[in-house]
Amino acid sequence: MKVMDRIRATTVGKSIFRVPDRVTERDRAAGHWASFLLHIYPVKVRRKEITFRYTWFLGVASLVLFGSLVVSGIYLMFFYVPSPASAYGDIQTIQTQVAFGQYIRNIHRWSAHLMVLAVAAHMARVFYRGAYKAPKEFNWVIGVVLLVLTLLLSFTGYLLPWDQLAYWAVTVGTSMAGYVPLFGEQVRDILLGGPTVGSATLLRFYVLHVAVLPTLLVVVVTVHLWRWRKDAMLTADSEVEDA
Amino acid sequence: MPDRDPQLLDANTRVLGIVPGKPAAGDRKVLAEDDPVMVWPHLLVRHGVAALAILAVVLFLALSFDAPLREIANPTNTPNPEKAPWYFAALQELLAHFHPLVAGVLVPGAIVIGLVALPYIDRNPSLSPNARRVARTAFTVFLVVWIALTLVGFAFRGPNWGWVWPWQEWHGEL
Repeated sequence: MKVMDRIRATTVGKSIFRVPDRVTERDRAAGHWASFLLHIYPVKVRRKEITFRYTWFLGVASLVLFGSLVVSGIYLMFFYVPSPASAYGDIQTIQTQVAFGQYIRNIHRWSAHLMVLAVAAHMARVFYRGAYKAPKEFNWVIGVVLLVLTLLLSFTGYLLPWDQLAYWAVTVGTSMAGYVPLFGEQVRDILLGGPTVGSATLLRFYVLHVAVLPTLLVVVVTVHLWRWRKDAMLTADSEVEDA
Repeated sequence: MPDRDPQLLDANTRVLGIVPGKPAAGDRKVLAEDDPVMVWPHLLVRHGVAALAILAVVLFLALSFDAPLREIANPTNTPNPEKAPWYFAALQELLAHFHPLVAGVLVPGAIVIGLVALPYIDRNPSLSPNARRVARTAFTVFLVVWIALTLVGFAFRGPNWGWVWPWQEWHGEL
């Protein structure tokens, strides 16, 4: 900490951090507002919100897992081509010849499963402490959107290894879309790009998995966190309801 | 890093005013649950520890268990059983008992719509568990049923979706 204080005090340090001497809470709040990384946080939260038993830190866990997925996923993208001719072989190459390939693939796989669990558990925890109540109703709705996006991300990623497990899991999963009344056939055709899972499906799922869905997720998470910050010091009790 | 209060009272300082709700130096109040605390450092430190803990879990899992890779996809060779990913196992289990329109469309649709509508249906403002018996019971029943269906579909179903004991034949796929 002493070292950081010294660095902050230099001309260069002042220009980077723009933080005043941290003596009072007001100084620290000012430093907080001036920091790009910290500005996604509220300056203050209620004391109960920092305890483990209140949140179990499941929201942070979901976000960290998403970060781990982005990093490991980008590494895997360098070695993977989404076509039935090469996809399976690429995964074999990743596992046997790419530096740390097997390990990075493991990280991606287990982070994905854990993220589904963490997001679902986050939702349950929010329910049980009643944190979806006024004035935070809409942030709960955004959370439901995030749960659906997480499931779609996991499901589209499931097809990419192009092994028997992937192929038939996606066949089963998408067959249900065919039962949507009236336009079920069309829905399935749009998902699969044909009557069965094939090269068009692989390409579609890949584009959704690495571009469309992650971008959507980042945008929606941003709104989710922004609302969390704005609501941090509001009460969720009868006083608000009466107003 | 402990909080540092303003250093008010050396010999040459006059006290110009007292901010209500703030402790004077040396007079820390005991914080109640709803009192505000500074995010930096109190929440940031905890988030940092939580992030490192979840990363440790991931790195440990990745060292211990390899991600599965079966034979190359073969559209002419359907495995028995065919299994959806584990988070859709409950839906697949329902599919074995109900018409596909119910299990594949109505139930998932109702769950998503129900979750979205929850804060607008439950207008009870109370946060106390005792005053929320109905909501808590309904949600708990849903969770228990869903987890049970997921477990059955994931671990207790074998060829032709017949019942198997997971300690005798393992058909779960991750």
